[in-house]
Amino acid sequence: MNNEKIIEQLKTMLEPTQINTNSEDLYDASADRYKKYAKARNVLDVPAPLAIVYPYTPEQVRDLLVFCNTNLINVIPRAGKTATEGGLENWKEQTLVIDALHLDSIINIDTYNMQATVQAGVPLQVLEDALRKEGFTTGHSPQSKPVAKLGGLVATRSIGQFSTLYGAIEDMVVGLECVFPDGHISKIKNVPRRSGGPDIRHIAIGNEGTLCYITEVTVKMFKIYPENNKFYGYLIKDVDTGIKILREVMANGFRPSVARTYSEEDAAQHFYHFHKNKCVLLFMAEGPKGIVKATGEAIEQAVEKFKDGIIEQVDSKHIENWFNNLNWSQQDIDDEFEGMKEHDSHSGFTTEISADWSTITKIYYNVMKRVKEEYPRFHDLTMLGGHSSHSYINGTNMYFVYNYDIHCAPEDEMRVYHHPMQRIIVEETLRLGGSMCHHHGIGKFRNEWTKQEHGSAYYMLEKLKEAFDPNGIMNFGTIFPQEEGKKYQ
Amino acid sequence: MNIICLVKFVPDITGFGYDYEASSMVRNHTRMVLNPDDVCALSFAFKVKERHPDSQIQVVSMGPTTVVPHMHDLLRIPVDKGTLISDPLFAGSDTYATSEVLGSYLKTQSFDCILSGSRSLDGATSQVPPQIAEILSLDHMLDISEIDVEKISPTEAVFSVEGERETTTWSMQLPGVLSLGRSSTCKLPYPSYADLQRDVSDKLTILTNKELGLDPSHVGLEGSLTKVVNTYDANSRRRAKTVVETNEEGIEFVFSYLKDRGFV
Repeated sequence: MNNEKIIEQLKTMLEPTQINTNSEDLYDASADRYKKYAKARNVLDVPAPLAIVYPYTPEQVRDLLVFCNTNLINVIPRAGKTATEGGLENWKEQTLVIDALHLDSIINIDTYNMQATVQAGVPLQVLEDALRKEGFTTGHSPQSKPVAKLGGLVATRSIGQFSTLYGAIEDMVVGLECVFPDGHISKIKNVPRRSGGPDIRHIAIGNEGTLCYITEVTVKMFKIYPENNKFYGYLIKDVDTGIKILREVMANGFRPSVARTYSEEDAAQHFYHFHKNKCVLLFMAEGPKGIVKATGEAIEQAVEKFKDGIIEQVDSKHIENWFNNLNWSQQDIDDEFEGMKEHDSHSGFTTEISADWSTITKIYYNVMKRVKEEYPRFHDLTMLGGHSSHSYINGTNMYFVYNYDIHCAPEDEMRVYHHPMQRIIVEETLRLGGSMCHHHGIGKFRNEWTKQEHGSAYYMLEKLKEAFDPNGIMNFGTIFPQEEGKKYQ
Repeated sequence: MNIICLVKFVPDITGFGYDYEASSMVRNHTRMVLNPDDVCALSFAFKVKERHPDSQIQVVSMGPTTVVPHMHDLLRIPVDKGTLISDPLFAGSDTYATSEVLGSYLKTQSFDCILSGSRSLDGATSQVPPQIAEILSLDHMLDISEIDVEKISPTEAVFSVEGERETTTWSMQLPGVLSLGRSSTCKLPYPSYADLQRDVSDKLTILTNKELGLDPSHVGLEGSLTKVVNTYDANSRRRAKTVVETNEEGIEFVFSYLKDRGFV
């Protein structure tokens, strides 16, 4: 089917206002924040989608998917547009972006059963604001909260800044509704727990639009006690000290909502007002008074145990103020975009990995060493550091952060600067048994390592793709490696 | 035209910290960047080459061998030839000794024009370019805001110098030394992806005193007529700190602060 015919067919299925073929919007839809610099400089090398469509109902999503499946048209599901790993980038000449713009209803906020049901296109901030009025929170607070939408957050297996207490999105999702390419609509019911076979929520959670389109989610809600919040901050000697203290707190059974360790380089760019060129350790304790008190005492005991690595305590007001201004808004994104048009730089890149407690610092130091020895553009790096920001009983994550001056054509930036850095981080992580993708998803630019990430369990992932998307129309190139897409990598 | 660009790689001052207790610079994370004024000089050389493709650009720098990757980048833009003058003997040279070293090399070169920046980010004395002109018995002009690319020839350059009240236009017989001031509009060309992978080491000559043959007592710390007594960060004076909230009152405070100082 040719492009004109596809648009004609869409017009028989949707209202004209539901079909967007504006060239600027299509250019914007051809890549996400992964190629933000090339996008800002108008040098994207990927094809634009044919149209962005905005269904009103799950049934319209079904009709669109069946149409695409029948005619082998690539589909990119989209809700929020804050993806950072190329998950929304288009690699096919014939692609429809199905955007959850009009799937925007809060269906039910059930304060007794502590769960809220929303459509995929509801912004997280809107749900959070609605819950706050009732004294509750989603507990989910990624930096993208003001912009991100629930469908996208679930599809990419998102995590928030308070995850150490509330968990990541997979811990919050109670049930959901999703549509498969063959038109089947599955609704996974909302129950506290069950043993009805494998947990099928996880087929949809984190599928990154490669298996199904999520149309509705039900998430847990939590009582919030902002008046009890307590903050702790310390300047510390090194990353090891910070990781040891994080482990001590977690292993002793406590769950601060925030538990972070920053390398001195990363601390310098976050905490300009107090870092003194040292590493930073910080915590936030929240919840009912008794829990906050106990958590605070546990933090202080852990700090005391490793006091040889503590340089000084920081005024907790600094930590509180910093948290209150951490999220980026649409304005921040737009400002960065405008800045990139003029300047040969951007606000930096990250690659996030995870590993158990005994491995995480090995990865960190190996990466630092290899970058210094092997990274061909080391002399252009303006910053290289990292922080651990999400901890678990058995380990933590590491968020490698790097900025650089760009001395190459905008279209070459990723392969000259980001990819060699990403490769070192991913190789070291996988070599030592960690995960190369803690919370940004695999997207399209870590797919060459998907098989290595999953090892013998890749068999299960591959079978899911074969079963649910046998024609391969769902988000071509995301998660699953594709030979045809290599030219865009 | 045959152009020589004098360039210097300087510490990126945005990476500087200041240890108030030890009253010293913290340079642990400092990296080197091409001096911004020199970017303008080299940028103009490329404009000339664009108009006159047979022009040759040689970049000459004096500094440690750690700047070799930066020199390679310039050769990938591509600059035609690079010369790095590097010898531990030269370490600690003041502007006079530096000019002596650079001048001794430049005397051996043929050129129509020497371009440089007016001042360096880390010293800002503006002494090296005029001293080199003196050594080479050439005319020199500092703080040039613009050179007319259409009028430059192997024998003459026409350029503008911005003063506090007026902009004056000058012409100079070449060969001569032209030093440009900094401008945010100056940009260097991008190397292509293929060029970034290219080995350009054969285009870079590294000269030591073995080749230059200068009297060791005339270079380095020993040959310097001036000594650095103290180094400090011009922006590091500790000020009283005022923390304001992100509310109307705080915004008003910051606005008044900036307004009183003429920033808004």
